[in-house]
Amino acid sequence: MVELILFVVLSTVVIGGALSMILGRNPVYAAMGMLATLFGLAVIYVIQLAHFVAVVQVIVYAGAVMTLFLFVIMFIGVDKAQSLDEGLAWQRPAVLGVVAAILAMVGGLVLSGRWEWITADRVALSGQVIEIPVPPNGTIESIGESLINRWLLPFEATAVLLIIASVGAIVLAFYRPRRLQSVGDDAE
Amino acid sequence: MDLFYLSVATEIVLVAGAVLVLMVDVFKAPSAKVHASIAGATLVTAVGLTIWQWDRVVDVGPSSGFAGMVQLDRPAVIVKFILVGVAAMGLAAAWEMMVSLGPRLAEGLSLVFVATAGFMMMGSGANLIMIFLALEIGSIALYVLAGIARESSTADEAALKYFLLGAFASAIFVYGIALVFASTGRLDVYEIGAFLGANIVLKPAVLLIGISLIIVGLAFKVTAAPFHSWAPDVYQGAPAGIVGFMAAAAKVGGFAAMVRILNVAFARYEFAWSGGLGALAAFSVVLGTLFAIQQSDFRRLLAYSGVAHAGFILTGVAAGVDGLPGVWFYLATYVAMLIGSFTIAALMGSPTGSGLSISAFAGFGKRSPVLAGSLAVFMFGMSGLPLTSGFVGKFSVFTQAWIAGFEWLVVVGLLASVAGFFFYLKLIVTMYFEAPVLAEAPGTATLKPEPSFVVKVVLAFAVLVTLVLGAFPSLLLDFVADALPF
Repeated sequence: MVELILFVVLSTVVIGGALSMILGRNPVYAAMGMLATLFGLAVIYVIQLAHFVAVVQVIVYAGAVMTLFLFVIMFIGVDKAQSLDEGLAWQRPAVLGVVAAILAMVGGLVLSGRWEWITADRVALSGQVIEIPVPPNGTIESIGESLINRWLLPFEATAVLLIIASVGAIVLAFYRPRRLQSVGDDAE
Repeated sequence: MDLFYLSVATEIVLVAGAVLVLMVDVFKAPSAKVHASIAGATLVTAVGLTIWQWDRVVDVGPSSGFAGMVQLDRPAVIVKFILVGVAAMGLAAAWEMMVSLGPRLAEGLSLVFVATAGFMMMGSGANLIMIFLALEIGSIALYVLAGIARESSTADEAALKYFLLGAFASAIFVYGIALVFASTGRLDVYEIGAFLGANIVLKPAVLLIGISLIIVGLAFKVTAAPFHSWAPDVYQGAPAGIVGFMAAAAKVGGFAAMVRILNVAFARYEFAWSGGLGALAAFSVVLGTLFAIQQSDFRRLLAYSGVAHAGFILTGVAAGVDGLPGVWFYLATYVAMLIGSFTIAALMGSPTGSGLSISAFAGFGKRSPVLAGSLAVFMFGMSGLPLTSGFVGKFSVFTQAWIAGFEWLVVVGLLASVAGFFFYLKLIVTMYFEAPVLAEAPGTATLKPEPSFVVKVVLAFAVLVTLVLGAFPSLLLDFVADALPF
């Protein structure tokens, strides 16, 4: 019962956030709506015992990615009047076509009696009761344990990969060709 | 959980050396000599640790480390030996170019070290995730090395092409891993082998597609046709000094991973992949040879001959486990000739420059007889003339391929080798029997290069490897005879 109440409340937050993101005229409001969606999803992950995914959701998406979005919005300027002309004339028909195709596929599955493909109902799939495996433990503790035990070496190798990627970025970006620098100096 | 540090000791030392070079550079901004001594110490330590690993493998036999992520066995250690040699020769040959990069010297050094460590990991990795990470570590370092000389626009172009196509190949490789995981539920190479050995996959389509995608991803790294299209542009455009290292390291790492994945994880499906590898080998050999004949640029010629050599090595890989000693021998001797040839190419052009016309070699035999002599040795070796190591390598992969039932492939390979004599000998004829072109555009080629001491050592070593192992192949063949990934 508690779960149901929580789920209804959180779904309202998630769907409301998504709607306000699409419908909001002000880009900052739209970003805030998306933030609400991401937070709501994070709490739903916690209910599903996927603590790690929840934390990643908050830190990476709600934290880093949303900050980037806001930076871009602020950078471009909020006050700028938005043009409501659609640049792509065929955009709406194309979207409608895709939606219709997906609906037709789902409808086809239902009509052909393969609804279980969508709901992944294991009993219906095989016609007999299969014992459902223990759901994976998504707590931070278990993920950390497997990261530092079984996957220690790949974890460290990822660190090396990140080092070499940043070294490469510095090498390629930091040293400007002298030619361009002198042109810049002349312009000043 | 076993922290078996010896299994990754060489890689740890190389990464530590790379970080040390960077840190020293930040705090002290030392001269090139300090960097050279750090690099030398790192390489010497790496060689020492590799000898220790070999001792351990000979005494105790193969063992796995870090929860099965890496396997310390003969192939892994042999790959480490080859790659330490490749790194040492490549760095020595590229040293002049690296110093000319000024403040980028430290980054260049660390990129070479980390790339070497990455490709070593490909040789010892026993988990598909581990192998993929190793592949990316090595490849990303190579992409940057290709473009490290930002002064030349061809280097930029080479780096961008290499990066885009390489990223695409990596994505294909990961897709293959995902499909294999989907059909077996395992990522450990040895566990996949045990699972496929004990179970019959009734609908193997997903598994077979996964295997072929993994082969395609690795074939890209070893420049097997038809996945070779990046190689000529990259070999031509990247800074001359470092191309030898780039080409050699990627080939060694790619073949090492391919050998382990195919022979351990998919041993049960050898009937499926050996035919595919045979087709790939035949295509590479024919296409590489035919295109090499038409080239007028020395570095493009080496690139296409590299495609043909990838085909010859694939011939050995297709022969299954028995072909492996030949594969290791071929790889070890080919990379020596490859780095030697690119070293001379770097001497002939400007160190960071790109492209080198074959006509620049006219009269080279008279101007610098020693350099021309060693280049002639490399060309004879690559063409597979008897008494060179190239002949022994070709002979051993062809023998095993014939025994394994690839008679048609051996015939194709022999015909291509004969056709290959044409362009290798053409260069030698140009060097010794053609009058030099006097009106050479300034800066395109040094008429009489003066190699430094380390470059002379590199060339002497490569010539020695080619000739001594050609005359006494058992020195290396005995060493690699039991190098099977089990």
